[in-house]
Amino acid sequence: MDFVTLGGNLLGTIQLGDIVLYLTPFSLFLFAVLLGFTVLIGLSKPETQVEATMHYLNNTEVKVGPKELKQRRFLAVICGIASAGAMITGDLFNFTLFMALVGILNIGIVSAVKQTSVLNSAFNYGLIAMMCSLPLFGGAAIILAATGTLSLAVLSQMPASPMVVFGAVMMLIGILGESGVAPFFASKAEMFRTAGSPYIVIIHLSSLFIIVRAVEILLLVLW
Amino acid sequence: MFVPQAFISMYLPAVYAGLIVGFIGTMAIAINRRELHILILTDIVGLAMIFVVSAVGTDLAEALILPGLVVELAETLAISEILITREMRKIEQDPRANLTKSSSIFPQAFSLDMEIMTTAPNFIALVLIGYGIFLTGFTGGAVAGGGIVLYALSKKARGLPVLMLDGIAGVSGISWCLWIIGFLLFFVTPQYWLLSLFLAACGLLLKVASKVGLIGLLMREDIDNE
Repeated sequence: MDFVTLGGNLLGTIQLGDIVLYLTPFSLFLFAVLLGFTVLIGLSKPETQVEATMHYLNNTEVKVGPKELKQRRFLAVICGIASAGAMITGDLFNFTLFMALVGILNIGIVSAVKQTSVLNSAFNYGLIAMMCSLPLFGGAAIILAATGTLSLAVLSQMPASPMVVFGAVMMLIGILGESGVAPFFASKAEMFRTAGSPYIVIIHLSSLFIIVRAVEILLLVLW
Repeated sequence: MFVPQAFISMYLPAVYAGLIVGFIGTMAIAINRRELHILILTDIVGLAMIFVVSAVGTDLAEALILPGLVVELAETLAISEILITREMRKIEQDPRANLTKSSSIFPQAFSLDMEIMTTAPNFIALVLIGYGIFLTGFTGGAVAGGGIVLYALSKKARGLPVLMLDGIAGVSGISWCLWIIGFLLFFVTPQYWLLSLFLAACGLLLKVASKVGLIGLLMREDIDNE
């Protein structure tokens, strides 16, 4: 499918060698929203959780220490920038790389929390993400082998051969696992249950946005 | 055509091989229950990814393998960091589960009743290490590492305390830097090729020799698990 059909009018292209960034209202909107959210995260202070205690009237505070906070904010900002890059990129393999980077950063954001359950969940998610790098990168490589290009602008003009369909399906599996949605969400569900909210929210937001963009890319490649 | 037909027809077998290796890896993960083993087995799936990417076989694919490898490595590091943090939290909650403070190369009880262990080992170890440094590079690292192992083995067999190798990660990092700098100089200033070759060779020597310490650390991990 043509990207004009999916994303609206073509506002312009940025030529970086054979990689062409194309700007449509769709990709620009996603890019701007993510960058805005990243700025918000960079400026905001983390929330503090209050846990109720069973059988007593006092509550316990779950706070984030200053050192951990700095590390988390840094990783959250990088995660925001990486997912913004995935929104604007015009290259199939760059998209997969941004995707993998977001996966690693998601693990990194929660890597220093104190709750063992969160760490358990992050470990499981990491394993799934690592296993899903096989279909993710493999799918992109199969599409490259079948068509000879990674540029989405060229790929959108090509008819889909069976090999391209196979590669796209593999990529879909990879994206699902790497962003921890539908069949794999059980591994990632507990990862948000810790203090320091705006930084934790980027884990959720980045995977949501990347899924939206992945649907566009798969449609571009397949139709 | 620049590419022979034989190489073009290798594409499908390579992709199948990658997918089969990935399948075997995931089956092994499904069967295994110990977390350290699962972590190592996921690396096999990552290697299968390299198979599939490198099957493309063009120079563009070569440019894709490198980021793929880096991503694999970063993910392994991140997950093992998570594992370590979780174990630390568990130890904080239950201090009796603490690990031993120091890390010896040979943590378990060990008896080797050989004459050579008491008479000649220091000299042989010295010769091996010297010869390894003289060789430099990969072979030299292996020889020098063998010398270090022999030295430690003989000390352990005589009941003496084995030297501590806690700083081994630092040595490994420095050698990595040497290797990278050598590699960079090779491209930036090709006229200094001898210098960069020696930098890379010395880095590799230290790197391979210091692998011994890592083997010791892994052995300790496994024994504490049991």
